[in-house]
Amino acid sequence: MMLALVALVAVQDTSRIAEAQAVLSQLVESYGVSGSEAPVREVVKRLLPSWARTETDTAGNLWVRVGPGDGPVVIVAHMDEIGFRVDTIRADGSLALRTRGGFFPSLFEAKPALIHTARGDIPAIFLPRDTGVTRRTPPPLRVSVGATTRAGAESLGVALGQTITMPKQYVRLAGTRATGRSFDDRMGCAALILALRGLDRSKLRHPVVFIFSTREEIGLEGAEAAARQLGTTPRRVHAIDTFVSADSPLELQNFAVALIGAGAVARALDNSSITPPAYVDSLVALARARGVALQVGTTNGGNDGSTFTPYGVIDVPMGWPLRYSHSPAEVIDLKDLVSLADLVRAIAEDW
Amino acid sequence: MNALLVLVSLSLQNPESLAERFAGMTAVTGYEQAMTDTLLALLPGSTRDRIGNVTLTLGRGAPKRLVSCSLDEIGYAVGNITDKGYLTLRRVGGGPRLYALFDQQIEGQRVTLFGRRGPVPGVVAVRSTHLTRGRPATPEPPFTVDNAYVDVGASSRDDVLALGVGVLTPVSLTKRPHRYGDRLLAAPNAGRRSACAALASAALSRPRVRGTVVVAFTVQSLYADTAGWKAVKNVQGPFEAAREVTMPSRFAETAVETVSLRDVDALVADLTRWMVGTGP
Repeated sequence: MMLALVALVAVQDTSRIAEAQAVLSQLVESYGVSGSEAPVREVVKRLLPSWARTETDTAGNLWVRVGPGDGPVVIVAHMDEIGFRVDTIRADGSLALRTRGGFFPSLFEAKPALIHTARGDIPAIFLPRDTGVTRRTPPPLRVSVGATTRAGAESLGVALGQTITMPKQYVRLAGTRATGRSFDDRMGCAALILALRGLDRSKLRHPVVFIFSTREEIGLEGAEAAARQLGTTPRRVHAIDTFVSADSPLELQNFAVALIGAGAVARALDNSSITPPAYVDSLVALARARGVALQVGTTNGGNDGSTFTPYGVIDVPMGWPLRYSHSPAEVIDLKDLVSLADLVRAIAEDW
Repeated sequence: MNALLVLVSLSLQNPESLAERFAGMTAVTGYEQAMTDTLLALLPGSTRDRIGNVTLTLGRGAPKRLVSCSLDEIGYAVGNITDKGYLTLRRVGGGPRLYALFDQQIEGQRVTLFGRRGPVPGVVAVRSTHLTRGRPATPEPPFTVDNAYVDVGASSRDDVLALGVGVLTPVSLTKRPHRYGDRLLAAPNAGRRSACAALASAALSRPRVRGTVVVAFTVQSLYADTAGWKAVKNVQGPFEAAREVTMPSRFAETAVETVSLRDVDALVADLTRWMVGTGP
């Protein structure tokens, strides 16, 4: 019945929404904790237009270069997601973890887990706490694969350094909204892919480098390597990443109020960068000229573009409004993805 | 029915498959109809009484014995709908002995609303971790149902009603039974559901019972009273013996309550012996 409802919704979608969903859902249902982005990188490659030539640098970033001449515009979205890494295999067979990225650990406590290995995923569970049930935050989380000894866990294929997440699924909600985990930043990756698919390469007057970056969640590390490589040459950088929105019943309304479904957002002021007002104005004018829905706001979080600013490159980050960031129940609106992709394309072609 | 369909049908009815299938169902106490519909289809000859219990009578004559499992679960019902299209919840079942983190398990997770037009996916809102940065961090008590806002993607009350969802619609954590380790099954209420799966498996094996055995899948065991079980006793009794089927589990009342499928197999064998009159 639930599938029938989803199918009915899909029939009613416009072709733009349907394409956005087809791209996004595949990205969201792939796994790639920071430092282990290979599965996501392969999905990105598969979804790119056939003309796109890709390069993978030593940091794992995936590059697509288009357009003539020097002085590229850089457009970057990150492939990685939050999660855990196996830190210790304990004598009792349980696994002690290291977090990768920032999130509320309570959202993972007592939930199914997946340990990602080269030979496939090992099912497991995040253990419930033994004590301290009067507090929201649990003690450091551990994972069980059902083994009672270290040797038992290792015999199932568990090894130090493997990454761990929770099973996830892209699920359509009412209207054009959807839920899943790691929309941050698979929405950004999807926007780049959709923009490349629609790009009119004959209109490009300068090079554009699309970068699908690694290890953003643990300190913008992939983007930092790319910025170092490009140095002072880029004209501008546009990080395409989440605009964490206060459009939620639980958030204060004093900032970050970009409505989901109302279009892309200029992330004009966050914890890592401030876009010069003249550039915000130019972006707004471009969106208006192309008929693209754009909101302007300020939110929290850092963005990959900020690693370029030490080289004198202006960072003009953009995003889409996301509810419930870094949770297993993030919510987006596909209309925002369409407008974000249109804006990325407009930047490449016209700015 | 061709041979392949028979094989598929039998494989879906083995204890392991039934345990996983039942663990994937939702039966919020007092709102168990969808699961009892499944039981009626699964168990030829079974009937549903006025309160909702499903019973199957095996054999005839004396002695008359009762074997039962409770199929309901603690869950939620929609309590209100806001103008912006969020739903607030009321817990159904539980009581003072409820696991202190029971409500916290739905925060920031997928839930399913069992509306009049079918299941509707939703999520329970959670604060965005980014927006807590730079604000004072103080130890917090666990999340409770009073802070639960369900987001189904709607923008208004009318959007919600159009989905077939309204006040009293049952809501539960979305069920995704999870196999791990050596034949372990993790799911909310895995113990209760595995007990019912074992009982259904034993009944489906059509044992040659001694006298009469009433097999009952009871409802409303977790609310103000054990109304379902009492109704079976009062309507179909008296019984010379009664057995309530339970299954040992780890991490009870959590979303990863875990049972061993070996224990399910053993329980089926034990129940079958009890029905034919050779067990304890």
